[in-house]
Amino acid sequence: MSVRNKRLWGATLVGLAGILIAYAKVGAERFWLNWVLWFVFLLSLALGALFLVALEHLVAARWSVPIRRIPERLSTLLIPLTVIGLIGLAAVPVIYPGARPEALADKLLAGKAFWLGLPCFSLRVVLCFVAWLAALAVLVKGSLAQDRSHDPRFNIRARRFAPLAMAFFGFGITLVAFDWISALEPAWYSDIFGVQLFAGAFLAGLSATVLMVLHLQGRDRLPEVGRDHLYNLGGFTFAFTVFWAYIAFAQYMLMWYADLPEEVFWYEKRLHGGWLPVILVTGVLHFLIPFFALLSRDAKKHPGRLRWIAIVMLLAHFLDLYWLVFPALMPQPVFSWPELSFALFFLGGALLWIRRVRGLGEDMPVGDAFLKQGLEFRL
Amino acid sequence: MRERTFAVLGLFDSADALLKAIPAVKAGGLGRLEAYTPYPIHGLDEALELKRSPLAGMVVVMAFLGALAALAMQGWMSAVDYPIITGGKAPFSWQAFVPILFELMVLFATFTAGLGMLFLLNRLPFFGHPLLSSRAIQAITRDRFALAIEADKADLDVEAARVLLSGAGARDIEVLPMPGAREILDAPFILRSLGGIALACLVAGTLLHQAIKLFPVLPPMSHMQEQPRLNAYQPSAFFRDGHGMRQPVPGTVARGYLPLGTRDPDALVNPLPRTQAVLLQGREAYRVRCLVCHGALGDGVPTLTAAYQAKPANLVSPEFRTAPDGRFYLAIVDGKNAMPTYAADMSEDERWAAIHYVRALQRAQNAKDSDLEGSRP
Repeated sequence: MSVRNKRLWGATLVGLAGILIAYAKVGAERFWLNWVLWFVFLLSLALGALFLVALEHLVAARWSVPIRRIPERLSTLLIPLTVIGLIGLAAVPVIYPGARPEALADKLLAGKAFWLGLPCFSLRVVLCFVAWLAALAVLVKGSLAQDRSHDPRFNIRARRFAPLAMAFFGFGITLVAFDWISALEPAWYSDIFGVQLFAGAFLAGLSATVLMVLHLQGRDRLPEVGRDHLYNLGGFTFAFTVFWAYIAFAQYMLMWYADLPEEVFWYEKRLHGGWLPVILVTGVLHFLIPFFALLSRDAKKHPGRLRWIAIVMLLAHFLDLYWLVFPALMPQPVFSWPELSFALFFLGGALLWIRRVRGLGEDMPVGDAFLKQGLEFRL
Repeated sequence: MRERTFAVLGLFDSADALLKAIPAVKAGGLGRLEAYTPYPIHGLDEALELKRSPLAGMVVVMAFLGALAALAMQGWMSAVDYPIITGGKAPFSWQAFVPILFELMVLFATFTAGLGMLFLLNRLPFFGHPLLSSRAIQAITRDRFALAIEADKADLDVEAARVLLSGAGARDIEVLPMPGAREILDAPFILRSLGGIALACLVAGTLLHQAIKLFPVLPPMSHMQEQPRLNAYQPSAFFRDGHGMRQPVPGTVARGYLPLGTRDPDALVNPLPRTQAVLLQGREAYRVRCLVCHGALGDGVPTLTAAYQAKPANLVSPEFRTAPDGRFYLAIVDGKNAMPTYAADMSEDERWAAIHYVRALQRAQNAKDSDLEGSRP
C-alpha cells in the first residue's frame, strides 16, 4: 500500500469517525442533509461521466474515443454509490416531509404522500440504480472486454444500447433532482429543475474527466491525446457553464416575475440572510469565472487553465447543491466539523475508489477500431 | 499604363507537394501567399502562418457593448425617463432586463460577425474574384492544389514569382491580371446603380398608380371603414332627423336610478333607520369614498389629497352640524366645488348610511357628559 493510499485511508476513516460522532451530537437531520448532499454530488459526477460515454456511442463521435476510458472509469463510481444511496433511504422518513406520518394531515401533501412515501421512493431509487448499473455493464464492461477481444461487434451493440442509456440517464437524473432535492420542500415545484441538475451533473463529469486526463498526461500516460481533444473538452465546459446559468436564471426569473407564494417561498429562503452570499459566490464560480476564462480559443486547450477551471467547476457544482439542499432545513449556512468530516469521508472514499479504478483496462480503448480515427482528430 | 497583376498562380499535384513548397516560396517574400485547394488540408494554416482573424475580438467587444446598451436603455427607460411600478416590482429590476440584455448582446455579436466578415475581412463588395476567371479554376475545384503569390501593396514582380514557384515544384503557372474597374465596385457604378433603382421604383409606382385609376377592379380592403355605423357628433343618414338613435320616451327611468322627488335640501329625508347595521354600512362607505379627503374624523384634514391644494369641507364644524341631511346628499350626488359626483360610486343606501355615519362623527367630536350616562356598567 503506497503512502498516498495510506493517507487517503486515514482521512476516510477519520471522516467516518467524525460523521458517526456528528450523528450522535448534532442530530439526524443535519447528518442526513450532509449525506444527501454528498450522495447527489458524487452521483451527478458519475452520471455525468456515464452521459459522456453514452453520448459518444449515441452520436458515433470519433474524437472522444481516445479519452473514453476516463469517463468509463469515473462512471464506475455508481457501484459504491449504490450502497451510499441505499443507506441514504434511511434519511427519507427523517428529512423528507412527504414521507412523514404527518404528511397525511396536510391537504397538499396528502395527495403526494403515496409518491413521496418511503415504499414508492425506495422503488424509484432501486429502479434507477438497476437501470444505471445495466448501462454500466453494457457500455463500460463491454468496452473493457473489447481491449482484449478487439471485437468490433461491441461498437454496434453499444450504439444500439446508447439511446436506452440516454433515457435511463435523462429520467434518472430528473428523478434524482425531484426526489432527493426538490422533495425536501414538497410544496415547491419546478419542471425545469431536473434540467438544472443535468447541467451541473454534466459539468461535474466533464471536469472530473478533464482533471483525470491531465493527471494521467502529467504521468506521461495518454501522450497521444492532443490539444485538439482538450479543446473539445474545454468547449463542452464553456458551453455548459452558459447552459447552467441559462437554466438556473430562467427558473428564477419566471418565479420572480409571477411572485406566486407557493413558488417564491423557495427563493425567499435561499436569497436572504447567509444564503445570498452562497448563491452569489456560486454564480461567480459556476458561470462568470469559467465563461471569461474559457472565452478565447487558446484558453480552451491550455492544460493549466483547464485544470484550475475544472477544479473551480467541481467546487461550484458542490456549492450549487449545498445551496439547493441545505436551506430546506437550515435557516443559515452551516459549515463546521460535521461538514468537514463528511467531506473527508466522501472525498477520501471517492478518491480511493478512483485510485482503484485508475488501472482498469488500458488507458485508451485499444480494442476500438475507431481509436486511430479518434487520435487523428484535428480541429 | 501597364496592366497590374493580381497574383501569380502555380499548380501542384498533391497536398503534400503544396505543403512542401510553401516554406521556400514564403522565404522569397514577394507577396502575400494564398492557397486554393479542393478540400481543407490539415497543417495548411500553420504552414501559411495565417494570422488569427481579428473577428473574434471584434465580436466580443461588440457583444459587451450590446449588453451594456441594453442595460442602459432599459434602465434609463424604466427607472429614469418613465418610471412605472409594474407588478409590484421596483422600477430598476435587473431580473427583467436580462432577457433583452441577452438578446441585444447576441444581435450585436451576430451583426458584427456577419458584416465584419463580409465587408471588413473579405473586402466585399468584390464581384468577381480573379481566380474564378482563371484557367486553373476547374483543376483547383477538382484535383489540383494551387499556391498563389498575391500582390499586396507594391506591384508584384511577375518574373521573379514565376521562377520562385517553378523552383518550388509548381507546374502550369498562370498570371492573374488585376480585375478592371468593371469588376470592383467603384463610386460611379454605385451612383449609377442607386439611380437605376430609384428610376425603376418611380416608373413602377407611376404605372401602378395609373393602372389602379384605370382599372378599379380590385378595391382596397375597406369593408370595416365603409360599414353603416354611427359616428360621434356626426349626422346619421339612418333616421330622417339626422339622429343616430331615438330619444327615450318621456318619463323613462334608467335602471338602478331613482329620480329625486325634490331638490330642496330641507325636504330630503334620510329614509334609513339609525341602527347599528346601518351605521356600520355607513362607516364602510365613508371609509371607502369620503375618508381620503374629509379625514377619518370628518374634520376635513385630508390623508391623501394635500397635494391637490383642495380644502375639503370640515364636516364636524357647526355649519355642517346644523345643516340638513339633504345638503350632504346633494353634495354626494352632484359634487361640490372640487368634489366630483359620487352618484355612480355609491348606491342609494350607501349615501344615506354614510350621512348617518357623518352625524355620528359630529356627535363624537362634540360629546356631552350626558352621552356617557347609561353606558356605564
